[in-house]
Amino acid sequence: MTIILQQLVSGLSIGAVYALLAVGYALVYSIYGFTNWSFDALLVSAAFGAYYALSLFKLPLWAAVLAALALGIGLALMLELFAYRPLRRRGAPRVLMLISAMGANLALINLINLAFGGALRAFPPFLSGSWQVAGIAIGRLDALAALLALLLLAGLRWLLYHTRAGLGIRASTMDFTTASLMGVDNNALALLVFGISGVLAGVSGVVYGMKYAVYPYLGLVTLKAMIAAVIGGLGSLEGALLGSLLLGVLETFVSAFISSTYRDLFSFAALVLILLIFPNGLLGARRPPILEG
Amino acid sequence: MRRLVSAALMLLLVLCPALAGCSASNAIKIGVLSISSGPDAYVGQASELALQDRVAEVNAAGGINGRKLELVIYDTRGEVTEAVSAARRLIEQDKVTAIIGPSWSGAAIPVAAIADAAQVPVVATTASNVLVTVDENGAVRPYMFRVCFIDPYQGYALADFAARELGKKQAAFITDISSPYSVGIQQYFGAQFTALGGQIVAEEGYQANETEFRPQLTKVAASGADVLLVPSATYRDIALVAKQATGLGLQIQYLGVDGWMADELLAMSGPELEGAYLASGVSTEAPEFQAYNAAFLAKHNVKASVYAYYSLDALMALEYAIRQAGAEVSGPAIRAALEGIRDVPVFTSSLTIEPDTHNPHNKPVVILQIQNSQWVNVKTYEPR
Repeated sequence: MTIILQQLVSGLSIGAVYALLAVGYALVYSIYGFTNWSFDALLVSAAFGAYYALSLFKLPLWAAVLAALALGIGLALMLELFAYRPLRRRGAPRVLMLISAMGANLALINLINLAFGGALRAFPPFLSGSWQVAGIAIGRLDALAALLALLLLAGLRWLLYHTRAGLGIRASTMDFTTASLMGVDNNALALLVFGISGVLAGVSGVVYGMKYAVYPYLGLVTLKAMIAAVIGGLGSLEGALLGSLLLGVLETFVSAFISSTYRDLFSFAALVLILLIFPNGLLGARRPPILEG
Repeated sequence: MRRLVSAALMLLLVLCPALAGCSASNAIKIGVLSISSGPDAYVGQASELALQDRVAEVNAAGGINGRKLELVIYDTRGEVTEAVSAARRLIEQDKVTAIIGPSWSGAAIPVAAIADAAQVPVVATTASNVLVTVDENGAVRPYMFRVCFIDPYQGYALADFAARELGKKQAAFITDISSPYSVGIQQYFGAQFTALGGQIVAEEGYQANETEFRPQLTKVAASGADVLLVPSATYRDIALVAKQATGLGLQIQYLGVDGWMADELLAMSGPELEGAYLASGVSTEAPEFQAYNAAFLAKHNVKASVYAYYSLDALMALEYAIRQAGAEVSGPAIRAALEGIRDVPVFTSSLTIEPDTHNPHNKPVVILQIQNSQWVNVKTYEPR
């Protein structure tokens, strides 16, 4: 029993950090209808930013987190201004936005690799160790990461449902063009949405850097988050959270009770099954693609 | 007409450096499949410097048979596809006489096939999987050589050490199933450990680039294992395993392999790995290397590493073979000379190549322990 609970705790803690990223994917997808592949680079930049703020400039942790957030938001906004907005303005097909995001991502990751090298960097120990609860180890950092994920998601929910800006975002997810005709400022909205995605990438960059280490290919994990967002139903925030927790727990349980060697085979086969039964993801709305024609 | 002239001038301008390069040197080119970027950049960093130093030394002394040596170094970034295309480029474009590297088995195996087809000898440095120099049927790959021990040796030595010296009975392992090196050592270890009366109680795996090992570690903890083998050459994997095990409250005796020898590992998780044992071919802490290490550090401000030592071994084996080949600097002649190496002094020891396997003969395995985040020699195994 203990081992099942321990694996469940590990799975949920893995899923909680997928959730931060999955929500970022879901948010951008629900409005702009494309997968923002540059998330990887945002996360890695933020992780590097926080690492150097701590190790090189000897800043306190809160300042390092702010530096990571600033990097995440700044880069996300630059990408919106220079990579996505010009394409949107010219009415380019959505697939070009996707390619633009991928290109920006590869360029940034390679730049980071060249500038800083591929070596691993360890964050100074922070919240290391774990609590023992009835024979189950709960990592302190994991608990903080999960708490942060839930707080951020709650905050995002509040913003979406209780503010004017949120109303604009929701209107745009229903119909981008009509919303703009109704007086929603498209460009301001885009900055807000990409800014939020920058916050999510920044926070997850710090969390990932602390949990694992800081290196240029740290962001490979964003692929998992993207998959989690699809499983949950691309475009649905609750779905992204659900998909992330499900993926984290599924991976852990397959490793634990079937085979760690064939983990990806079994867990992703299970995901294909889920998609066959729920073609729009678990909580995805069935609606015509946005921004079409 | 004017356009034609300017086109001709342009062509001349483009070709000039290439022509100059051709005419200026009859140097013997040696290709190097290095790793100087990506997470494994530490492997190539000291090696390249050591090779350049050695080549400068040889050339200053007049070269070999009156010809200078020239290194052509490519960064493979630690990726198999990059290593394969770099090997092709070295052979087809740079027309190298021989190649040093690669340092890991996953790339060395496909490179061996290319070397055989092109008849260009390759001396791998730390690629220790059996199948690097022989094929599945045990037939030697004619143009592939190596200067390090092979995985069965370290698998056996580690199992022997764990069972006999440490008195361990129940072993677990966490293996990178996408790496032939990792899988190979795990198999040899398992066979020898069970032959000595031990039991394998958890066989866990993962694939390259994994960062989450807690599911596996939770099972290892539940299995009652008293020793955990982590046969990985990627210090990120090892460090994350150690950190996450500590997070789960798992205290266990670690066993490591020669791929652990990176100071970066100690920097990342030295405290968690305190007391771990690992196998290695040589140790940078051995007294005979201290003078070299000190001079190297003073000159380059980079620490010498076992990868640098093995690269030097490979280069010195090639120097010997080229000297033996005499005027006929061809792939087949150098291959024959490499195969005939008997008691030739190289950097780490004296080298004898076994003609039927192209492995070095009787390479010892050193068991080291991590003590106070340092590598400390504890025992040397001579192959039986």
